Amino acid sequence: MNVRSQQPETKQVDQISFVKPHIFDVTQYVKLLWMKDVPNETVRLDLFFDAGITRGRESIPAIVHSLLLSGTDEWSSVEIHKQIDALGGFLDTDISFETAVVSIYCLREHLRKISEIVANAIRGLAFRENEVEDVLRSMRQQFAVNQQKVKYVAQQQFRKYLFASNEDYSTISVEADYDRIRVSEYKKYWKEHYLNGLTRITLVGDLEQDEVDALIDLFGKWAIDGEAQYAGDFKFQPQRVDFPKEDALQCAVRMGRFLFPKNHPDYIDFQVLNTILGDYFGSRLMSNIREDKGYTYGIGSGMMDMNHTGYFVIVTEVGKEVLENTLHEIRFELKRLQNELVPEEELELVKNYMLGQLLKNADGPYAMLDMYNSVDMYNLTLVFYDEAIQKIKSITPERIQLLAKQYLNVEDFLIITAG
Amino acid sequence: MIEFNRFKLGNGLTVLHHFDAATPMVVVNTLYDVGARDESEEKTGFAHLFEHLMFGGSVNIPDFDAPLQHAGGESNAFTSNDITNYYDILPLQNLETALWLESDRMISLAFTPKSLEVQRNVVIEEFKQRYLNQPYGDVWLELRPLAYKEHSYKWATIGKKIEHIEEATMDDVKAFFRKHYHPANAILCIAGNIPLEETKRLVEKWYGDIPASLKPQRILPKEPAQNEFRELTIERKVPNDAFYYSFKMPERRSFEYYVTDIISDALGREKSSRLYSILKKELKLVTSVNAYITGSLDEGLLIIDGKLSDGVSFGQLDGALWKVLEGLKTELMSEEETSKLLNKIRTVKEFQEQGLLNRAMNLCLYELLGDANGVNEENTLYQSITAEQIKTVSNQILRKENCSLLRVKSIKE
Repeated sequence: MNVRSQQPETKQVDQISFVKPHIFDVTQYVKLLWMKDVPNETVRLDLFFDAGITRGRESIPAIVHSLLLSGTDEWSSVEIHKQIDALGGFLDTDISFETAVVSIYCLREHLRKISEIVANAIRGLAFRENEVEDVLRSMRQQFAVNQQKVKYVAQQQFRKYLFASNEDYSTISVEADYDRIRVSEYKKYWKEHYLNGLTRITLVGDLEQDEVDALIDLFGKWAIDGEAQYAGDFKFQPQRVDFPKEDALQCAVRMGRFLFPKNHPDYIDFQVLNTILGDYFGSRLMSNIREDKGYTYGIGSGMMDMNHTGYFVIVTEVGKEVLENTLHEIRFELKRLQNELVPEEELELVKNYMLGQLLKNADGPYAMLDMYNSVDMYNLTLVFYDEAIQKIKSITPERIQLLAKQYLNVEDFLIITAG
Repeated sequence: MIEFNRFKLGNGLTVLHHFDAATPMVVVNTLYDVGARDESEEKTGFAHLFEHLMFGGSVNIPDFDAPLQHAGGESNAFTSNDITNYYDILPLQNLETALWLESDRMISLAFTPKSLEVQRNVVIEEFKQRYLNQPYGDVWLELRPLAYKEHSYKWATIGKKIEHIEEATMDDVKAFFRKHYHPANAILCIAGNIPLEETKRLVEKWYGDIPASLKPQRILPKEPAQNEFRELTIERKVPNDAFYYSFKMPERRSFEYYVTDIISDALGREKSSRLYSILKKELKLVTSVNAYITGSLDEGLLIIDGKLSDGVSFGQLDGALWKVLEGLKTELMSEEETSKLLNKIRTVKEFQEQGLLNRAMNLCLYELLGDANGVNEENTLYQSITAEQIKTVSNQILRKENCSLLRVKSIKE
């Protein structure tokens, strides 16, 4: 008979093998990272550009990003997509604060062809009038839909208030951005940020060296000429700002503050604190506000990495009638971390959980490349993860309390609600 | 190719074993053969509410998540109209913790009043967050009862209305558990760097003594053949008019299911698809348009949805859309187009097989359909599809009398 009331013996994750990709210098400023050991036919190629939403005003970064595959003098957007689809390829594009990414997913036999199609499409971008109109029409409508989502409104306003000291970072989209076609401005932006804005290439796939060389030749021409410039040292006013929406059933909440970039000595330790507070299913915010009170479907906290800084944010959507209760409980949990030591048992659990996550995040070539890239982007190496294991294993309740006192004062937070 | 072994315990539990020497993680996936279609019409949303309760402690273990997290693992679940699927991912050396937890909640839940009360609230907030507080969020609540008159697909997994969740009682919960949560109604998959013999020993150890029950018989009302075009227009405070054309399509186990999947891809999966290139790019009638299938096990739906451009009427769209559909019914698809669609399927399959969790979930789903090995035959099935079959099935499905149309009319605030 099994003793069902007792958990079987467990072992903490002890060692994780982190695999380093092959690294090539495309130019002095641009690297290509390549993870070669893939046990199947799949390939992923990512092109990173210095073309995030903070690189321009009036939504021009997002508009040009959406126009990248919209056609050349020779080919319409539909024809370009037809060519890629015929080879079974998938494109994915993503734009974040400081970076824009174009990704190709395909089988390795088609990578070369698809890369050439994508390269020609971006290089030959013709800003055809009907395509520009179509993209603006879609973006304007998506904007209108987003304005009705409390989550989106809270996220945008949080950005606006948090980055208040720097207009490039704090300016959010407005409907008028999509009203007027400004081809000459798009062109200027495209030349600066794409044709001369490539910051890195990452590649996963069991390829031959000459195929990798061909990619370097193909995309290397777009390499950025110098280090990309990023802002840091932002100032904001800690305060609460509400954005009421009368017919909303729920209220979205964003609250947080600036922290530090990934190379800061407190980074990993704070990550442990963040996990305890809100970054796993059993976190204090989830246990209290979802699993005890039932105020929300989900609540969490996270650390957002930027090139020269980082910020901390708590995110939730709650029933409108329990908004104030929720904010009260969040404050209570922040205070509790400052006033009481985390019990050993809880800390042990979080350590085990985080080590398990690290093990999972390093599992397989795709996951491992992302993991490597997410430190290499900040000029860190795999030592970061080896140190992370040691720091997670050795952190004490006292140290966590100290960090909570230093960084989790709600008086220092920006609080945005929408709904 | 996903290799696997299959064995069955005396109590009726089906077990799949998938060996992968390359990963330090292990996946424990449990599929229960119960979904929203198994609910009674007076108590909808139950399968999904129940999924939440499965994390509220079991007969011998007060909390599900904490021990798993202590073992370095994590867990989640989802409910569809057809199935409820639970998974755990954790470091291999701690596999037994997952088996201990999963087997205990297969024996019985703790059924604490607190857990029921809290999860009722959580699910109500989920209802608001995903269905009521989003522009266009409630369309599935309207579309399902339009397309289905008898079959229990006529309600969404979240339930017909919030009241059904508010009114759920402990007796309801217990009865639901007894009927659907037992070995004969489950498929378990263990995937990772663990030999078959060891898997057998551990599964027998933790699941072997769970009492057997009979697999419940599923007798669902049969959906009568649809013989008339149905339409419904609802008014909502949304920025633009939106449309949802839904067509009944063959059940999951039929060959025509795969053909219909290809038809939906041809119509509106990608930026080179027919509806996208004609309705959006050429005629500028819409700002977005998609076609996809619901993937249901019983007779499902092929959906075409999208949003109208400013100043375009539903009537203008309707004419142009049916013209595109007619094209599939009257002309054979070119080889260029079929090969494009099939190439995309091949890529998708290769990427799906990347992830350990994906492999485990797919094995369980195919076992439910009749044979886990189906996952390995799927691509061949797709690749065998011909232009003639696409035309034939298009004629069966893309008919006005087989269509239910939901329009969302935008009204200003």
